[in-house]
Amino acid sequence: MSDPRLTIAKRELSVLRKEKTIVLALLIQLFIAAFSSFLVVGLVSLYDPTSVDGYTVDVAVTGDAQDDLLAVTNDQRSIRGLAYPSTDAAMDAFEQRRVDAVLDTAVVDDRVRVAAVAPDSNIRTTLVVVQLRDALRAFERAERADRAASLDTTPLELPPEATTSPYFGFTYTVLIPLLLFLPVFISGSIAVDSITEEFDRGTLELLRVAPVSLVDIVDGKLAAAAVLAPAQAALWILLLRFNGTQVHNVALLLLLVASFSLLVVSVAIGIALATPDRRSAQLMYSLAVLLLFGGTALLPWNPANAIARLAIDSVGTDVLGVVVVYTVVAVVGYVGVRKLTHHVDETSL
Amino acid sequence: MSGRPNGRQRRWRQILRIARWEVTRSAGTIDRRTAIIGLVALLLSGAVFGATAAAGVSGIALDRDIYRVGVAPDSPYYEPVVQSAALSVRPPSEGLTPGGSLDILVRDGQFAVADTQKGEAALAEFRGAVESYNDRRLSREKNQSAAFPVFVDLQYVARDEGFGGSGGAVSVDDGTSSGTTGGTGSSGADAGSSGGSGPGETTGGDRGPSATGGDANSDLPVPDVATGGGGLFGGQTSGSPAAISPPFPFGSLLLAFVFLVPMNFVIQAYGSTILNERINRRGELLLVAPVGPGDIVAGKTLPYVAAMVLVTTAITVAVSVFGGGTAGVVTVLSVFPVALLFLAATFVGAMFARSFKELTFVTVAVSVFLTSYVFVPAIFTNITPIALISPLTLVVRDLQSSGVSLLQYGFSTGPFYLGASVLFLLGLGVYREEDMFTQRPVPLKFLDALDSQIRSKWSMATLSALFIPFVFIAELLAVAILFALPIAVSTPLLLVTIAGVEEVAKSLHVYAGFKHARFPRTLRSALVLGTLSGFGFFVGEKLLAVVQLIGFGDLELGQQLLASAGVGTDVDPLVALGLLLAPLALHTVTTSISAVGATRDRWSYAATVGVATLLHAAYNLTVVTSLV
Repeated sequence: MSDPRLTIAKRELSVLRKEKTIVLALLIQLFIAAFSSFLVVGLVSLYDPTSVDGYTVDVAVTGDAQDDLLAVTNDQRSIRGLAYPSTDAAMDAFEQRRVDAVLDTAVVDDRVRVAAVAPDSNIRTTLVVVQLRDALRAFERAERADRAASLDTTPLELPPEATTSPYFGFTYTVLIPLLLFLPVFISGSIAVDSITEEFDRGTLELLRVAPVSLVDIVDGKLAAAAVLAPAQAALWILLLRFNGTQVHNVALLLLLVASFSLLVVSVAIGIALATPDRRSAQLMYSLAVLLLFGGTALLPWNPANAIARLAIDSVGTDVLGVVVVYTVVAVVGYVGVRKLTHHVDETSL
Repeated sequence: MSGRPNGRQRRWRQILRIARWEVTRSAGTIDRRTAIIGLVALLLSGAVFGATAAAGVSGIALDRDIYRVGVAPDSPYYEPVVQSAALSVRPPSEGLTPGGSLDILVRDGQFAVADTQKGEAALAEFRGAVESYNDRRLSREKNQSAAFPVFVDLQYVARDEGFGGSGGAVSVDDGTSSGTTGGTGSSGADAGSSGGSGPGETTGGDRGPSATGGDANSDLPVPDVATGGGGLFGGQTSGSPAAISPPFPFGSLLLAFVFLVPMNFVIQAYGSTILNERINRRGELLLVAPVGPGDIVAGKTLPYVAAMVLVTTAITVAVSVFGGGTAGVVTVLSVFPVALLFLAATFVGAMFARSFKELTFVTVAVSVFLTSYVFVPAIFTNITPIALISPLTLVVRDLQSSGVSLLQYGFSTGPFYLGASVLFLLGLGVYREEDMFTQRPVPLKFLDALDSQIRSKWSMATLSALFIPFVFIAELLAVAILFALPIAVSTPLLLVTIAGVEEVAKSLHVYAGFKHARFPRTLRSALVLGTLSGFGFFVGEKLLAVVQLIGFGDLELGQQLLASAGVGTDVDPLVALGLLLAPLALHTVTTSISAVGATRDRWSYAATVGVATLLHAAYNLTVVTSLV
């Protein structure tokens, strides 16, 4: 006869398949991924207009330091300085949309005051402001160099500009951790439902008549829920690779996700056994997960960072240590739940 | 006449009694053990937070040490790398990536970068780190005017954009940037606060920038470079160039979470209590009581609505106190419809779900979709009128004391109120014995719910019109998702998606009607129902067009969405009439096509919807290419 725990796990998974809820879960995750990518691509093109090809900001430059500022803007890739004789002329050009912004300079007390005007209530505002800031920072460096004699410290020379998109960092620090954690949370939620449902419908009583112990039942349910998350994580990693994102250290990542999954599902089952009412159990579970991940997020070796560093291939011995620690914690959690299950009064169910 | 108030009073008393019963029963489920476990969880988390706080860790660093820089301790670039969170210091001997493990190697003032994407990203991070390191060192310099020789005052001036209601400038309030207010007070915020007065007046008076130089002379404040960022709800507008930050309302991101996360807890409980009624036929007792299903649902929902309002009010007060804003009644009123839609969607989900597990997924789906709908446009709060489709924009404006007009409130919250009502209506339709206590797949339940709303053939038109808010939401989400793709891919995809969404929304209830044999399965009735449904949708869409006048024509993709609705630009009357009637013809024809398929079975229905979608998309394509 096969292991009853395996039978129970299989039954759990087949129920999920029949209700097609797992499809919904994958869809939700895909949606979240697409959505956060939208946010980032949208924001990136706002904050880093150079990633939008051929976009230049036309700026009207007037005032005392006109020539100095124009010399700087001429060196910038995505900003074009245009000389205007007066503030009024520049503002007129701005009103008539011949320029995107106005920089009016005035030398006051050996300092250059720049009054910048950017268009409002337009999606271009952010684009323009980012470009203005970059140009003005370059201008500041040039002006600073002219005054170097009166400075005690010499600023360090900047490294060359890079041609990169912030999307790269986002993919590893936010998107991948998000995609790998979501299945873990959902698995825990499934585990809570699975146990409380049995309580609620009174079916646990029937299961108890079968020649299996409560520990077996819990083990089976736990296995089903805990296996789901790494499987989904593997799917996401495959999808990301297919999409051109390199994910390194896949084996370690899956081990980490499996540990989180085991830990979270154990916590979920512990909560469900302690509070058989579904409402309070789900509430407690949400709170616990929120606190668990909110709390660990503050740690220097937080789980999201560990995943990011594994995926981007910046693994040091500290990250390996983190993986080991989380795995040990997960195993301890699982053993704890088994102990708890032994102590549950079976007649009270 | 005298009997009615009494009747109404009695109804109210019944609803309140059910509400009270719901509250006491819910409180009963939290026994002593639950309370103790909750307390332990809280204490544990407190310990975790306390321990990390004690360890002196500040902030959440997701990108800690993700790039590796090889730099010797005696190099001047050693300090910037140490101070940067994302960069980790490595001995230079390790070598660059293909052979070694470094992304950047600094040696003798030269920078070698690994030839990978990661190397480039590391270089950008490194450049930023050196830049802010320079700024930090210079801020300790005695001669501040030499260290920061440039001082910027940024102001936003509205140019005439041609939007009716929202043409005014959004104030970028600079209240939080300490130390800079002295010099820039007078001109900084004027452009914003003049509101809808239009560009002529805004710039006519004091010609903006030139006035600033004069009045602020001797005591230029020390630029605020250490923080780099601006206030919570808007960019910083004056200081050294490094201090200028573009208007990125990070606040709305924060707000989305602050207001919506607690809602998830409430809907979890609400979904459970509704599903509880259905499991083991528990709700049967309530149903046989002399109370209507509407009253039962109202009574059971009331405590949760109250909880939502309470939580929202508490959060509003907290946000006002900690965020330094002036949130008030407007905020609560803006978040309320979101809460209502959360509850309504959960109610329908709980009415359809077969098990708790299914309910969990439905709840997650609801909160994900709603959160993203609320959240996207809020990012663009200070930038574009499209932001107004999210009530969170109203909250941000309320916090900035920018004022919210009744029209704006209606535009933002209208779809939410309408959507919530429709969902409650649908859920109520299946709040009856034959649906509540049977186990059927969700799609079938959904068709049941649609069918329960059909009274006559005219219901087709009403239902089509009622679906408009959902179509609107679905299409906006499609725009949001497809926005990320290159425009050559996204435009055709979007046209087909929008057409598909509309065709399904127009024909689903027709299919439900045929499925439940409400109408004879003849060609004639298919054509009648299809025409009516198309007509209803057309009327609803025209209402949407009116809403468009408030603003929402800025985004290129948005224009395509609306162009298909016949909301073109200025055209002569004859063409305008044609544009008005053409969509009517389109909707009736395509819906009739789907209706013909609906008379048969599932597969022919799907096939005809496909045909209708393609026809619709082709029409949209012609309109978009000829108008835009």
